[in-house]
Amino acid sequence: MDPTQTRAQATQPHAPVVPEPSDEQLVLEVLRKDRKATAEFVNRHADHVYSYVRRRLIPHTEFADDLVQEVFLAAWENLEKFRGESSLRTWLLGIARHKVEDHYRKRLREVQVPGEEESPLPEPVDPHSIEEAIEQEQAIKKTQEILAGLPEAYSLVLLWRYWEKRSLSEIAVSIGKTEKAVERLLARAREQFKRKWHEQ
Amino acid sequence: MSNKPLQDDEFFSRLAQKTEAGAEVKRAPSRLRAKTYSALIRRQQKSGPLLHLAETRRAGHGLCVFESFWEHMPLGSAAKCFNCCSICHARLLGEKVEPPPIYWGHCPYVAFKKT
Repeated sequence: MDPTQTRAQATQPHAPVVPEPSDEQLVLEVLRKDRKATAEFVNRHADHVYSYVRRRLIPHTEFADDLVQEVFLAAWENLEKFRGESSLRTWLLGIARHKVEDHYRKRLREVQVPGEEESPLPEPVDPHSIEEAIEQEQAIKKTQEILAGLPEAYSLVLLWRYWEKRSLSEIAVSIGKTEKAVERLLARAREQFKRKWHEQ
Repeated sequence: MSNKPLQDDEFFSRLAQKTEAGAEVKRAPSRLRAKTYSALIRRQQKSGPLLHLAETRRAGHGLCVFESFWEHMPLGSAAKCFNCCSICHARLLGEKVEPPPIYWGHCPYVAFKKT
């Protein structure tokens, strides 16, 4: 929607001018169960929640729809607690982060970790050339492609550790494994990532 | 840039930072907006009725043709809190088709495909 339009004008050009509600006003209207405000709540914030969730689920973006819905439902359940200390978007993204981490926890318990027992750790790849590659323009696309091509356990643990900035111990506690086991999984994930980076 | 090889942790942290900073906001499909809205309304109804249609209008929101008709029907007040979308084909199309072939004013499922 054109941000200069009012909400009524968006669908009816000659409607009375009603200014866009602030986050706080919108929350109050949603809490009153105003169906139109609820639609606006979804419309206003769906893109950011969806984008964030999708980025964190690569390559398994098929889970994104369910997670986005869960975020908004959890937001509704907790909306009375919204105090406006942060923006509504930031607050929603906080809920989204919890949902994504719940997903990581569940999936890392379910998916098979490739070659965990039988194969030794691969030889480390010299990160020197990768350092320069970070600055390349295509780094974002390449990162997404590599994450999408990794075994799910590897992409999950990389995203959790580096994109969600969780410590090894936090991840270990979440999935009921030792810190050493998570460290080993992460080391394999990193090496395979770097190897693919060189291959591309 | 330093020639000193980065430690793995630093490399991946920087890579994450760069990809986050450059990430585009991707438009949520209208179908997902529609399903999310429908789920939210259903959840709201679990703890009691929706806001009366007249109250929604007074708050400055337009009502769709079906809601306007419903608002003026000689029904009790409780009926005016009914979620008309629950029996409307626009909801079904909005949740299933991308983009849905629906066009009339003040329908949330139409708004989802426009924004």
